[in-house]
Amino acid sequence: MEKTVKLTIDGKEVQSPEGMNLMDAAELAGIHIPNLCYLKGMKGIGACRLCLIEIEGLKAPMIACNTKVREGMVVNTKTEKVQEIRKFIIDLILSMHPLDCMTCTKAGICNLQKYAYEFDLKESSFTRKKFGYPVDEANPFIKRDPDYCILCGRCVRVCKEQGTNVLEFMGRGIGSKIVTANDKPLQESECTFCGSCVDSCPVNALLEADRWRKGREWEYERINSVCLLCGNGCEITVSTKDGRVQKISSGAPAGSAEKYICAYGRFGFDCIEAETRLTSPMKKIDGELRGTTWEDALKIVADELKKAGKDAGFISAAGILNEDALTLKKLARDVVKTRNFDTTVSLYADSDSLKKSQRADIDRSDLIFLLGLNPSQWERVLPALDAAVRRRINRGAKLVVINSSETRIADVATVSLKGDEISNIKGIIKVAIEKGLKADKKLESSVKDIESTEEIEKASALFIEAKQPIIFSSPALFEAASNLSLLKGKKVIAIPLESNARGVVLMGLTTEGKTYREMLTDKMKALYVVGEVPLNKRPDTDFLIVQNSHLTGLAREADVVLPSATFLESAGTITDFMGRMKYLPEVIEPQGESKSHRDIFILLAKIMGSTIKRPTEAEVKKASNIKVKLSPVPFVKKEGLDISPQEMIESINASVINGSRLLWLKETEKTIAV
Amino acid sequence: MSGDNIKIKICMGPGGIAAGGNDVIEAFKGQLTNQRINASFGEQCSLHQVGCRGLCAKDVLVEIIIDGKETIYENINPEKVPRIVKEHILGDNPVKEWIAGEDYDNFKKKQIKVVLSHCGEIDPEDMNAYIEAGGYKAAHKALTSMSPSEIVETVKTSNLRGRGGAGFPTGLKWELGLRIKSDVKYVICNGDEGDPGAFMDRSVMEGDPHSVIEGMIICAKATESHKGYIYVRAEYPLAVKRLQQAIDQCLQKGYLGKNIFDTGFDFDIRIFQGAGAFVCGEATALMRSIEGKRGMPTPKLWRSAEKGLWEKPTVLNNVETFANIPKIILNGGDWFRNLGTERSGGTKVFSLTGNIKNSGLIEVPLGISLREIIYDIGGGIEGGRSLKAVQTGGPSGGCIPAALLDIEVDYESLAKVGSIMGSGGMVVLDETNCMVNTAKFFLEFTQAESCGKCTPCRIGTKRMLEILERITNGNGKEGDIELLEDLGSHIRATSLCGLGMTAPNPVLSTIRYFRDEYEAHIKDRKCPALVCRNLITYSIIEEECTGCGACKRACPVDSIRGVRKKPHKIDPELCVKCGTCFDVCKFKAILKA
Repeated sequence: MEKTVKLTIDGKEVQSPEGMNLMDAAELAGIHIPNLCYLKGMKGIGACRLCLIEIEGLKAPMIACNTKVREGMVVNTKTEKVQEIRKFIIDLILSMHPLDCMTCTKAGICNLQKYAYEFDLKESSFTRKKFGYPVDEANPFIKRDPDYCILCGRCVRVCKEQGTNVLEFMGRGIGSKIVTANDKPLQESECTFCGSCVDSCPVNALLEADRWRKGREWEYERINSVCLLCGNGCEITVSTKDGRVQKISSGAPAGSAEKYICAYGRFGFDCIEAETRLTSPMKKIDGELRGTTWEDALKIVADELKKAGKDAGFISAAGILNEDALTLKKLARDVVKTRNFDTTVSLYADSDSLKKSQRADIDRSDLIFLLGLNPSQWERVLPALDAAVRRRINRGAKLVVINSSETRIADVATVSLKGDEISNIKGIIKVAIEKGLKADKKLESSVKDIESTEEIEKASALFIEAKQPIIFSSPALFEAASNLSLLKGKKVIAIPLESNARGVVLMGLTTEGKTYREMLTDKMKALYVVGEVPLNKRPDTDFLIVQNSHLTGLAREADVVLPSATFLESAGTITDFMGRMKYLPEVIEPQGESKSHRDIFILLAKIMGSTIKRPTEAEVKKASNIKVKLSPVPFVKKEGLDISPQEMIESINASVINGSRLLWLKETEKTIAV
Repeated sequence: MSGDNIKIKICMGPGGIAAGGNDVIEAFKGQLTNQRINASFGEQCSLHQVGCRGLCAKDVLVEIIIDGKETIYENINPEKVPRIVKEHILGDNPVKEWIAGEDYDNFKKKQIKVVLSHCGEIDPEDMNAYIEAGGYKAAHKALTSMSPSEIVETVKTSNLRGRGGAGFPTGLKWELGLRIKSDVKYVICNGDEGDPGAFMDRSVMEGDPHSVIEGMIICAKATESHKGYIYVRAEYPLAVKRLQQAIDQCLQKGYLGKNIFDTGFDFDIRIFQGAGAFVCGEATALMRSIEGKRGMPTPKLWRSAEKGLWEKPTVLNNVETFANIPKIILNGGDWFRNLGTERSGGTKVFSLTGNIKNSGLIEVPLGISLREIIYDIGGGIEGGRSLKAVQTGGPSGGCIPAALLDIEVDYESLAKVGSIMGSGGMVVLDETNCMVNTAKFFLEFTQAESCGKCTPCRIGTKRMLEILERITNGNGKEGDIELLEDLGSHIRATSLCGLGMTAPNPVLSTIRYFRDEYEAHIKDRKCPALVCRNLITYSIIEEECTGCGACKRACPVDSIRGVRKKPHKIDPELCVKCGTCFDVCKFKAILKA
């Protein structure tokens, strides 16, 4: 139980957790203290001076963002004195801010606008000035207009805390400005265009580059969903207007920058309307793909699948929804009657590690292990994990990186262990047992031959000390990781590369016949590829069916192409790597004639003379409900799971990248790299 | 040739160097060699560069000691050197007309030198000179025979208050520093002196670097710290050089590093060079700067003594504070306390500048009256003009009007009249200084040096400056004074750090005492001191004008018309008020009003 203290805020008796700042304590009591620079979850910096409040017994007003609650404190947040101060502050800021609220994209969610309204300031009582700084709009993602900037520093802090670290203050006094290193445009900095700064900006200084006259906040419908573009499965908020996606932001509640999403998740949605988007089924006639009707296309597919029977193969990406996976399995096993159905999961994970992964809250951890993982915001490999770990370190947690290859995140680690991962883990376990942690006899004897090093001892000491360690592991090293976790009964989690890897495994989409790789080489009579898989060339097969939202390289070589809905156009669930079920609503309708994966499977079954019922939530939950218990297992690094994470993530997102402004980013990065 | 023992001390403080000290040294070297006197490190005659002697107005000051007989020369330049060598050194006959006179004696009379006792006496680059003058005795005493709490008690008894500006009792700070337990603690010396016109700390760092280091060693012992930083602005290259030299000398001698004086006590000092941001003199900004971050103040949830540099307990004092410490340890807390007033012990160094006769660096006991400083030590105002005000405390300070000249100089009295002690800037203003313009000058400085973090300081000071600009340009509006007062009091109440909180002081204090000058600018469009260019006019007094044409020829914009030997006229439309005519007229026929 957290300790609480009692205090009085504006005459109201309030109970607040010990150590909380007055801003949050007041918010808990339903009292809003005006602020512009405060970011929930981060240390207050007292820059805007708007949150000054009065505490009885103290002569000078104090800042609420950085003053902690104390027992018996009597706080007044709306005295005449502080209200006058606030008005003065807003007045000053307005004197350096454009007053073009009538056309400003941020109108409606601009905090400055809100407070100007609240404090009855039509415009500044001082002479208004403007610097006329150039706007940084050379990139298609983020527009920076320093003339709107109120120097609250939120963007700088968010960017620093998540470890991207490209923004900083420059200059002094009124000429202070937020800049990248050497005041270069964003693309010439290490910016990854994740857009966290955009989410944190309280005014119009940072904005999605394409937002001009695309509607303002009050015209948007805001829908919470999940990004399915990589293994993180980040929560997102999609804003739509007139049936189109206008922007995507991180799924954190307003006023908080606690959640990270990357450029793919935020800006990849252009691909919904890309030229390569498939809006009707196609079939190959004389070596060329031509549009056709659903009826015709499905008939052809049905015939081929019937012909192939048990020699048909289904391979699917793991970025499909649980409901799609359940339906696909029924189609393959019960209708087509083949045992060959597998997913891309088999390229990087085994189903055991995914099923056994536990649930933990990284924001409470005091020690993080990254075992065999190389998350990177810059390479966009599990970027949200990279950001979350870095943020946690900046808030005081320690990091141990165990990886036989070089990783960038090791730069911020307390201990970085290079060399063979298994021996390092064994070493840590051995030292921990020597230092008194209890272990199973079998486990103890399996590590006894390992020689420990100074670094291993350091890592082990950290592990022993930690109260809430979390072990993130690559699936290949999960066994070793779980052995380590057993010493303290703490959390261990395998991180896959695709969003619903755990889901598709739980839904039973794991082959009972040929594996993914075997189906590519074993000349299947018919091969049915669902979703975007890392495959550009037609495998040797008699008949190739590609079901995807975009015309990929593989689709161009298919015999029949079936247009599917993107994840924003289809409702259902995923089960993320920690086993949390996440819901995705149908944010917009599917483009053209495209349909959700499961609808296509159901239609196809019907043509083949069978009925597949729409899977219900209960069915998904039942499939998810498995009990696992960790027990000591042999230390092995599983073979065959070594596909390059970067290549994998790029290739499963090829349509997103090539069909959106992300292509600009890829090409710019290439140019800069050269 | 008279005897074997000839010492020549040449003032090489900031003032001395600026006045050409280097050339004077070279001239002496040349002369001594020409005359075949075994100079520099020689047996017969030694040449010493010494720190600031104070009376910068008369630099270069040269002292010649022959057989213990001291003679001080003022205003020496290289041309005067041959005669001094010939007549005084070779002929034993001092050059009377160049010997420092009454001013120099008066200047010294009321001063008590504690911090500056070595400045101007010893060669700052010579560690032995410092040791011969009693240096490191205090550190030795503190390390070998005093416990940390005894040191703290002595400093508490001395009533020494932080000389950086805020005047926090040093003993209390150290006491807290000692009480907090931590694996790592830091001692930081703040040498980021940034007030315009101030050179107190610079003179100490350049003129007596070892005293600062000794003070830090004692502080380290008192607070059980083993790591020290001296934060010096990179614009003080000589201070950096001499401090580094001093540190190296100490390391070599075992006065710094491991096992100092064989006591088992370790202490290291590193110099950190600041990049010249005024705000880095603020403790939290300074520590962020050492941490490699942008020098921006952070809200003080903790005292630095609890959580400072890298979140470790840190005792931070300024140069002058540390330089006082060895004397306090040697002579006792009571001795120091009795030098000053009841609430502020000891002496304080001021840089006395502006329109004063004997400008320079002075050290006076706290409690001395402002009048004594200005008239007895400073010799009064140049040219017999009348004193208008004294600005103390640098850009964070205020202006004290001539009517309050009898106040005692200490922390409380200065605060009472709307100014501050600050780090010791003292600018003397006379009737030719416009107070609005003076306030504007200081605000120009603070608004440009604001770090830009908090709103009131970043935008508020700029808005104040704009109002002052329009007042001095003759565009002041009714209500501007009240607006300034309003802005000033709000900025003072809401700013994040001391820079913003004190930035309005020069404006508020000049309004308080010289409101009529502001009103004259706004209502009458006149600058009473005839300083603000847009508010003055030049005209020709017909009766006085001889028609010589000098002004006409000198005028850069051809605004003066007239025929020879007839009174001329200035065309006010064309006049740019440069004042050239006023300066060239030999007949006082130009009226500036």
